[in-house]
Amino acid sequence: MTFFRKAFERKHLEDPRPVQAVFSNTWLAPLWLIARLYLGYQWLLAGSHKVWGDDRWIAREGPDGLALKSFWERAIAVPAQGAPPIKYDWYRDFLQYMLDHSWYHWFAWVIALGEVTVGVLLIVGCFTGLAALAGATMNFNFMLAGSASTNPVLFILAVLLMLGWKVSGWIGVDRWLLPALGTPWQPGTAVQRVERRLPHLRPHERPA
Amino acid sequence: MTKGVALALGVLAWAGVAALAILITFNIGDKNQVLMFLPILASVVLAWAVGEAVTERVFDEEGGAR
Repeated sequence: MTFFRKAFERKHLEDPRPVQAVFSNTWLAPLWLIARLYLGYQWLLAGSHKVWGDDRWIAREGPDGLALKSFWERAIAVPAQGAPPIKYDWYRDFLQYMLDHSWYHWFAWVIALGEVTVGVLLIVGCFTGLAALAGATMNFNFMLAGSASTNPVLFILAVLLMLGWKVSGWIGVDRWLLPALGTPWQPGTAVQRVERRLPHLRPHERPA
Repeated sequence: MTKGVALALGVLAWAGVAALAILITFNIGDKNQVLMFLPILASVVLAWAVGEAVTERVFDEEGGAR
């Protein structure tokens, strides 16, 4: 028991100074800005093709999402020779389920508007970490569906932006938004003010 | 009052940045990615710099939206 108690006693492990400098210090904010804008611009561009372009996925004559339907059909196809685009059977079953239920009609809207939203949020630096998480989720799904393209690079950039969520939006809306909202463990200035005005909304007091 | 106006102008400025980015990307497409990147970068930096200056003058010394 002593062994387990010693092994799992609460210890706060500090990050090395270089890691702190990159992910928690505002002096590298200009570098994060370039990475953020590049990623946001790529998402906005991809979304613009799906929302606005000649080969758009949505708001066109006829049913929406037919382009997504053919993408899913290509992805789940298992060729007679060679490797299929999807390596995981559970993911192929997932796409097959969505195809069988014609989900591509509304899922095309989710993807197209999701890409535009992620692009805009990254460009203005609003909830940068969450926007990067949403982008990384889309990259991850595209890669699972067998489409490499620019997804690996965009995925790595999104992961870096998530790790640097405190500073990656510093030259952006997050500079004002995050101090105002704070975090669940440390409410920000705006949240504290609301709590002062509406004390009955205050969560249970923390134990001393 | 001054703080409210500054906050509203800040929201409008960032909404303008978003609108500019969408307009540029949707209308020009990917014909020249470097040329399109520069005005977006400039608008973000401008909005942020003006926001910093206004925050320092209008809001208290600690900064942040209050």
